[in-house]
Amino acid sequence: MELNIVGTNAITYPAMHVWDWRVAIYLFLGGLSGGLMTMSAINYLRPNRTPESTCSWQIPVLAPILLTIGLFFLNLDLERKLNAFWFYLTFKPVSPMSWGAWIVLIIYPLMILYALASLPKDVKGKIITNPAIRNAADTLQPYLLLLAKVNVIAGIILAIYTGVLLSTLVARPLWNSAILPVLFLTSGMSAGAAVMIIVAQSKEVKLFFTKIDIWLIITEVVVLLLFFYGHYTGDAAHRQAIMPFFSGSHEFFPYFLSIVALGVCLPLAIVLKFLEVTGEHTEELTTSGLLLMNASAVLVLIGGAVIRFAIVYAGQLSGYGGYM
Amino acid sequence: MPRYVMVIDQSRCVACMACVVACKRENDVPAEHYRTRVVEMVRGEFPRLRSEMRSELCNHCDNPPCVNICPTGASHKQADGTVQINRRKCVGCKACITACPYDVRYINEEHGYADKCSFCQHRLKEGKEPACVATCIGRSRMFGDLDDPNSEVSQILRETSWRTLKPEVGTKPNVYYINQFPRKS
Amino acid sequence: MAFSRRNFLKYAAMSAGGTLIADTPFLSARARAEAEGGNVRYVPTSCEMCFWKCGAIAKVEKNKQGEDVVVKLEGNPLHPQSMGKLCARGQAGIGQLYDENRLKRPMIRTGERGDGQYKEVSWEEALNYAADKLKAVIEKYGPESIAMLSHGSPGDYFTNLLKALGSGNIAFSSFAQCKGIRDAAWELTFGHKPGSSCERVDLKNSKVIVLLGTHLGENMHNSQTQEFAEAVGHGAKIICVDPRYSTAASKASLWLPIKPGTDTALLLTWMNIIISEELYDKAYVEQYTVGFEQLKESVKQYTPEWCAKETDLQEADIVAAARDLGRYAPNVVIHPGRHVAWYGNDAQRSRATAILNAILGTWGRPGGMWLPAKGKFASFNDGYPKYSDPAKAPVIKGDYPFAGGEGLTQVVRDTTITGQPYPIKAWFICGTDAMKALPDQRQTLKAIANLDLMIAVDILPSETAMMADIILPECTYLERHDGLFKVEVREAGVGLRQPAVEPMYDTKPAWWIASELCKKMGLADFAVKDSWEARMRRQATAWGIDYDKLADTGYVSLPDSAFPYITADNQPEFKTDSEKIELFSKKLEEHNFDPVPKYEPTDEPEKGMYRLLYGRSPVHTFSRTINDQWLWELYKENQVWLNKKEAESLGVKDRQYVRLENQDKVVSDPIQVKVTERIRRDCVYMVHGFGHNAPRLSRAHKSGADDQQLITRYKVDPITGGTGMRVNFVKIIKEA
Repeated sequence: MELNIVGTNAITYPAMHVWDWRVAIYLFLGGLSGGLMTMSAINYLRPNRTPESTCSWQIPVLAPILLTIGLFFLNLDLERKLNAFWFYLTFKPVSPMSWGAWIVLIIYPLMILYALASLPKDVKGKIITNPAIRNAADTLQPYLLLLAKVNVIAGIILAIYTGVLLSTLVARPLWNSAILPVLFLTSGMSAGAAVMIIVAQSKEVKLFFTKIDIWLIITEVVVLLLFFYGHYTGDAAHRQAIMPFFSGSHEFFPYFLSIVALGVCLPLAIVLKFLEVTGEHTEELTTSGLLLMNASAVLVLIGGAVIRFAIVYAGQLSGYGGYM
Repeated sequence: MPRYVMVIDQSRCVACMACVVACKRENDVPAEHYRTRVVEMVRGEFPRLRSEMRSELCNHCDNPPCVNICPTGASHKQADGTVQINRRKCVGCKACITACPYDVRYINEEHGYADKCSFCQHRLKEGKEPACVATCIGRSRMFGDLDDPNSEVSQILRETSWRTLKPEVGTKPNVYYINQFPRKS
Repeated sequence: MAFSRRNFLKYAAMSAGGTLIADTPFLSARARAEAEGGNVRYVPTSCEMCFWKCGAIAKVEKNKQGEDVVVKLEGNPLHPQSMGKLCARGQAGIGQLYDENRLKRPMIRTGERGDGQYKEVSWEEALNYAADKLKAVIEKYGPESIAMLSHGSPGDYFTNLLKALGSGNIAFSSFAQCKGIRDAAWELTFGHKPGSSCERVDLKNSKVIVLLGTHLGENMHNSQTQEFAEAVGHGAKIICVDPRYSTAASKASLWLPIKPGTDTALLLTWMNIIISEELYDKAYVEQYTVGFEQLKESVKQYTPEWCAKETDLQEADIVAAARDLGRYAPNVVIHPGRHVAWYGNDAQRSRATAILNAILGTWGRPGGMWLPAKGKFASFNDGYPKYSDPAKAPVIKGDYPFAGGEGLTQVVRDTTITGQPYPIKAWFICGTDAMKALPDQRQTLKAIANLDLMIAVDILPSETAMMADIILPECTYLERHDGLFKVEVREAGVGLRQPAVEPMYDTKPAWWIASELCKKMGLADFAVKDSWEARMRRQATAWGIDYDKLADTGYVSLPDSAFPYITADNQPEFKTDSEKIELFSKKLEEHNFDPVPKYEPTDEPEKGMYRLLYGRSPVHTFSRTINDQWLWELYKENQVWLNKKEAESLGVKDRQYVRLENQDKVVSDPIQVKVTERIRRDCVYMVHGFGHNAPRLSRAHKSGADDQQLITRYKVDPITGGTGMRVNFVKIIKEA
């Protein structure tokens, strides 16, 4: 067929170029900070927790920081940044973006309250100079358990939400899958566990989250396979939507590469983690053991980022009909 | 309240681009940006060829994904059936651009808001047809009120077979296409 | 119950809560402006983005600085050539008005001719300089050594100047490079041209429409394309004869991808079929034509079988088309075409078109060709003295017995080069880019090199204008009065051009420039007495028209002027010697031409070469609109259409840049290939007017490639002097 179109906009034709790395980073960091909220709260709530689990305060502090960085990238993408206040003069029940804006608004204080509550006394003295805030932190301490429980849920909501936005876009078949939020949830949780492993000092915490992460990665891989399978068995547009990942053609090489990367990173991480969990460990982790643990955690983070980037970009290549 | 629809008779489109320029001038659309376009598709092998022409624009859907996704209510559906943008409320998040299966939206780069065809809302208020319809050389574009059973568009949609673009997406467009090919008499 | 748009609009206006202002269609600029209030004005005028002269309405608003700005152009619903609509170019007229590349002030050349070095001067200085130079040329070589090449409205005013000076060497490209050949051929047949500005084709009522190379839709003649779409819409049979699958072909029920150069064979064969199968209009032929027997005898030789071979078409299609024409006659029309300067035997092909129309009885029949309107316009010359006859006869008709009054541009050029029969040493170039309009640019450059003086009157710094010694910047059609225009469609009427805004920069209307030059040349009697508008008023009075009403509505029709079809008391007049339609032309016989058209084959391309065909884009008028930002944006550069199989054998990919080299080894600028099924294998096609070599045109400069550059060869039609330009062959050169 010979096609001639006069009057196309560069933002949508011949390929859609609406969202780029800024949104991908936002989605990654959003999912990661959700994962961190949940994982750090789980760390606090888990039974048999030893008092010297030092990462119990750094992670709660890290979560809002990462979310802020993510929102900074999202803000970079807004064409009218000064108009952002309109998000909070409206609530649109059918708009996932409106939900997102409000969720962030509610989750932020939960994160910060939890972070303040979880600060140990000595640390509090060092990093908080403002007496009012120090007082507030002191007041919050008794509610730490409650805040941790709330944060488990809030983290899950945040991580899911990052996938909900894309999944509602019926016009982009790759995104328009109910599995996508679950994929982003598992990926976000897994990334959260990975950061726990890296930041935690104690062997015990590291091994605990390594065990958790094995299950999370396995779930993530299964969900990812189901995601592709769902598209493959869906209508023509959905099947077409995943083609960039599997065509292997020159044009779509980066997408092919992303599948290869996921195919290496995630299974390798599982294997490494399995070895870590089953292996014999001395009282203190050896340097090489530590390195291996951190390396497998980094693999998980790479996998999480690759998923966000690949899906954000490939989704914009997908569409209904076109000119045939 | 009227219910505005457009009917496009593809057999009468001569791909002259009058609508494209009229729209740009009427609505002060920035350079290299468009609210309407003309598509020409030729299938077959020499000398057995078949050509299809049509103009495309915002479908002012009854189930508009752009309105559903809009976080601030800037994109909204009006009682007259049209989908409009309240520029004041637009944050430029571009979700509506990705949400539109018809790729009819763009960002006004000078001001940052999303923009698209308004069915020339300002002209409708003055009782004029949209600029593209008014200047359509082939009278391929027709415009009117579907709630008025005597309107030209009502009559056509009642008596002719029509289709909408990408019906599988479920957007329920208000731009209807008739006569995909000229009659081969 | 009848439905109407007006009802809808009324309802819409009320329900939207607006005041009911535009419920009635446009009737008066003043009334509409008053109804809308505020700072808006409407100015009815006539478009000049091409030469169809559509009625347009300019919407003018005040900007923040309080200046008038044209914000929108719309078609005038009262005007029969626009019927309320404007094409893309008409809509984009604002782009010409506000083109920042416009010629802004008079300029005098300071460097070498063609190197672009100029100084800006005042009008007084420019006009004095021009007058001095003109006087020097006249002194040395006589007034006839001053010539003009023109296209469009400025030519009229300078025609007055040249005639007053004593030169008749005035030539418009519209004759030899365009439709003059056709006009002459139809005059030989019917005693009338097939139309004045619009062809008198009754497309909207046609049952069968034959288009020979006429690519309506891409060739955007407003009202005619509207009627064509109307015909397509109501299911008329379109038979499209074109080597290329054009927009019109895509609407056709029968596309005949004819071998280029063989159209006359097809026309003659159709006549043979129609005559031998007795499908022609016998009574009509009997009553209105002469020479039928000679025609019948002459076309016998052209059998469908022979024709199929000659034209590379299917015999069955050829016969079917002829039978369709016969079956639906006389409500059929074979379009006379417009640009017919193709193969150097074009008058005979146009004759064949005319004759085929005649035997089908289409002239004066619904769906055929309507009869000329009967509006009478009183002669008006505003009290100018008569021109004295030039001392030396103009050269503009060359040796061609049927060349028209518009003149032959290439003969003026040849005379400028050879100096025979007398030297031509000064050129006015008015509103035409001669480099793009005339075939063989090498000759044009040679002629320009021979000139003592070259004066350009133009709006944009085109390649040709930027070779002139003196450049006089004309204002655009939205900034000037240009006179009353006779509109001759089914009815007769009058349109006008009047300014929407004051001229920008230091530009002037052509009437003023020519008039001032008249004064400087001591011909004050020929200068405009007061203002052009005052002259228009006097002309309106002479024609019995209320000027104020015309200025308010943009169009006034002459009552009782439309008599489109033959009836018992509306008989056609044929202004031929026999007062009948001359199927056999004694006049041609007297000049030793075939009195009945005969087929002669055209040269064919050698192996590896393709015939170069050219045509138009709906968004551009020749080379003159390429720089318009609104139009350039839509079609920035032309492409060369190449058949897919040929492209495969050459290893050329779609959108790849190549160069074209013609038979004379002239190589084009790079041009993108459009690999397509939409064209025959023996030819390539490109849109005319691109590849400007004009650095001051920031958008058009070097956009695409120039077909005219490759048209170094042309075959002159011996009857009319038209320059057949589809006789060039090119090969594809892949860029390294």
